Amino acid sequence: MIMVLAVFAILIFYDVRKFIRTKEPVKVFAIYACFMATSLIVSLLLAAGRKPPGPTQWIEAILNIFGVAS
Amino acid sequence: MEKARISSIQLFLLLTGFLFGNTLILAPAQGAKNDAWLAILLGGAGGALLMGVYAAIALLNPSKTLAEILKEKLGKVGGSFVTILDIWYFIHLASLVLRNFGEFIVTMTFLETPMAVVIGLFAVILVYLVNSGIEVMGRLSELLVPVIFLVVFIISLSLITVRDFTAFFPVLENGMKPVLNGAFALITFPFGESVVFLMVFPHLNKKERLKKVVPASAALVTFIILLVFFRDIFVLGSDLMVRSTFIPHLTSLLLPGFNVEPLIDITLMIGGGVKCSVCIYAAARTLCQIAGIGDYRKLTGAISTFCVVLSIWVYANVLEMFNFSENLWPYYSLPFQIVIPLLLLLLSFRKKSSQSNERAKSQKGKDAAKAY
Repeated sequence: MIMVLAVFAILIFYDVRKFIRTKEPVKVFAIYACFMATSLIVSLLLAAGRKPPGPTQWIEAILNIFGVAS
Repeated sequence: MEKARISSIQLFLLLTGFLFGNTLILAPAQGAKNDAWLAILLGGAGGALLMGVYAAIALLNPSKTLAEILKEKLGKVGGSFVTILDIWYFIHLASLVLRNFGEFIVTMTFLETPMAVVIGLFAVILVYLVNSGIEVMGRLSELLVPVIFLVVFIISLSLITVRDFTAFFPVLENGMKPVLNGAFALITFPFGESVVFLMVFPHLNKKERLKKVVPASAALVTFIILLVFFRDIFVLGSDLMVRSTFIPHLTSLLLPGFNVEPLIDITLMIGGGVKCSVCIYAAARTLCQIAGIGDYRKLTGAISTFCVVLSIWVYANVLEMFNFSENLWPYYSLPFQIVIPLLLLLLSFRKKSSQSNERAKSQKGKDAAKAY
């Protein structure tokens, strides 16, 4: 858990420092925050041993609705 | 648009490296057992046709990327929606390749290393590569992709003494169905995945060369997959080949007197690296184009981090990975690889024919005015 937080802190610090220096528009911050927040939440859940249902399960469920996957 | 240009040979090697990618790890035509060579031939032909569709889209819309074509053909709202779906597909594809690579390395080479570390370190190199631009990716593939062919030929020739050349008989023992399934799987993986290259084709310096580069690349990859299949089945036999998880690795272990395991790792690292970097590049550029951000490099770090996390999250174990790629991937990727590109091709043809009709009309008008 601490390892995950440390890695994300380094990555975010490195990128955000660059963004502030080059005065990036808000949309860059927003998209960046969206990706990093999702990654951080999923990583923390995985590190805690609570794996949320992943894209594979969603895709399988959708294909099941269409009767493609068995 | 980014002004980077790549030569036709660079695109050829980039495309070949991409198609080779993780194909040997998952062996998509393996379900056809000893008839897989037929599935490879059929799949190769179908794949070449599908890649021809992508090349035709690029030629009918010169200097336009996938995001721009979608916006033009489907309108702002519809185009943006499909573009977002495509971004998801590119990111998902990159994470699946990362997972394939990580799973292989952790199972075969670095047994004690956590997969997150292997994938994370690989992703760091990929971010550096993607940030260097498409020209550097092209030059790097020019340097590294030939190593793949070299390694395949070295291992295939070295095993010439331990072969049973009748191992692929009897032909069509289980009928045509497994062959057709295998061919379909091969069309969607790896050939259909080259839809990602609609973000790379506009960088080709001589657009007319696309007509030669794409089929040549599809033919070479089909030949290599076929060569590797025959090598593996001649050495291992049909039964063992169907039951083994990572076939080329097992084959390389049978080489008498030498340890060529690292060579297999190197080929997978090169192919996987090329494939993953192209996917991350395409995802970052598409996202930047749709959001109106000038430089795609601003988002490569975030996208790559997401890809690493997604690659760990996506499967619980190696069996789930094989099950997904064999049973679900071909259907899941149909809209991205076949439906949307065919729709774009139709719309591009319609636009071209209406443009040529208008031109003919205006020419007629001019001629009539002149005669008058």
